[in-house]
Amino acid sequence: MNRDVRAAGRGPTGPIPVSAGIGLRSVHHESLVRERPAVGWIEAHTENYFHDGGPQLIALERARTLYPLSLHGVGLGLGSVAPIDREHLGRVKRAIDRFEPALVSEHACWGKSGGEHFNDLLPLPQTEEALRHLASRVREVQDVLGRQILVENLSSYLAFTSSQLTEWEFLSALVEESGCGLLVDVNNIFVNSVNLSIDPQRYIAGLPPAAVQEIHLAGHLRKQVGQRVLLIDDHGSAVCPDVWRLFEAALRRFGPVPTLIEWDTDVPALDVLVAEAALADQYLERARELAA
Amino acid sequence: MNSPPEPTNLAALQARFAAALRGPGREGETADPALIAGIVDDGLAPVARLNLYRNNTRAMFVGALERGFPVIARRVGDGYFHRLAAEYRDAHPSRSGDLHCIGGNFPAWLAVRLAGTEYGWLADLARLEWACEEVLVAADVPAISIEALGGVAPEVLPGVRIRLQPALRCVSSAYPVWSVWRANQPDQPGDAIAADRGAEHVVVTRADDRPVLHLRPEAELHFVAALSAGADLQDALENSSLPVESLSQALAWLFQNGLVVALEAPVPGEKE
Repeated sequence: MNRDVRAAGRGPTGPIPVSAGIGLRSVHHESLVRERPAVGWIEAHTENYFHDGGPQLIALERARTLYPLSLHGVGLGLGSVAPIDREHLGRVKRAIDRFEPALVSEHACWGKSGGEHFNDLLPLPQTEEALRHLASRVREVQDVLGRQILVENLSSYLAFTSSQLTEWEFLSALVEESGCGLLVDVNNIFVNSVNLSIDPQRYIAGLPPAAVQEIHLAGHLRKQVGQRVLLIDDHGSAVCPDVWRLFEAALRRFGPVPTLIEWDTDVPALDVLVAEAALADQYLERARELAA
Repeated sequence: MNSPPEPTNLAALQARFAAALRGPGREGETADPALIAGIVDDGLAPVARLNLYRNNTRAMFVGALERGFPVIARRVGDGYFHRLAAEYRDAHPSRSGDLHCIGGNFPAWLAVRLAGTEYGWLADLARLEWACEEVLVAADVPAISIEALGGVAPEVLPGVRIRLQPALRCVSSAYPVWSVWRANQPDQPGDAIAADRGAEHVVVTRADDRPVLHLRPEAELHFVAALSAGADLQDALENSSLPVESLSQALAWLFQNGLVVALEAPVPGEKE
């Protein structure tokens, strides 16, 4: 299957182009529509736009007439042992019906236990049991939504001794068992390479290129914790040189892929995001030339 | 004699991890030996790694609550607000993957928590702030004009249900919550408002991307609240003590503000 065929939806403004897009944040709703910057597409957090009505929804209605749209969920907690919240999933489906995104994604994480939701992306052990569980949940969600979803690799601050697989083996097997696509967050791979002492090049080399339909790029924070440096995945700064280099390696492995600039804390003016996207486009252009 | 076995199945692992995230105690005190034994050290103690998640989930909750109740946070100050938020989280942990929901129980919880103190009135302010949150995500429904009333036969008028916008909430308080809310908007200096200034009754609606607060007479607020809850015109009038002579003015206000979305005629025989 080629990438365009696998893309489950085409959206009102077409499929997600193989170019750089930006994460839509509410502080940019007005400036995006007013300035109409030259970015290829936008991605919105599903949970910010899945309520009954209101200004957020109106803003996304407007934005999606200008740009191809991807919806990115942060609240389903696919890997939680607790049952999928059907009300939440119903709202996700309603948002998909309303906004007709070309791509829909979620995370390889869990978030709920004992009735409490932690509203965070919590790490799973890479065990056979967790793999079977996550794959069944992804299938369940895909059945309800009636479409393929992309699953994103997580940034982590810890690893479990019980893990039997590497992260890339786990994600590759998830694709096989659930039929999902992959959203590869290159910043998360770099963050994990430092936090969990893993080789980022091996990580990228171990992922199945045919499944990769989207890439995320973002900034992170260096933090000294005790005797060790940890990278905090705060999406609060520009993409760092190490992550750009890893992005280049990812494009060599996967070919050119739609790439998103994410920025969630200390969100700067829109033109800063647009400039980051333009830089990502240059990498994509070089990758296209190499692939030709 | 032996340390407890590390959790090997996913359900046990998530339950222990969750307990560590919500557990009481200071940073560094998370000490479930089975959980700790199951986390790779790699140059940083598992407890410290776990604490990153613990602090992050706590900050996420407090931050979301602060965004939902900015006036309360401003009035009581960061330190006290964070203490309240931590206590509230213990009583009402998040039940949803949607962070917007976490403030729903805060006004009622605050009413109990602050009962009998000089800050008891903050619970009413919290109700007002939550009303603002709710109207911002309520459904958009087209309004109807006042001419629609002309089509209703006078004899059935008492049984008519006047359906109001989903984006409408009524907050009635013995305290000056509207004045405090206004004085503590981001562009205001936050002047103190004396709590004994008296009662205020507020209808909260939405315009464009912001909540709009309308100060209304008490009886009219109760009338609007009764309509909003589904009462027919006669019941709404009787329950609210709105003088009949004020009825047309109250209805005109609702229509002028685009708050009426439907008129439902009574079902024959439903009302004597």
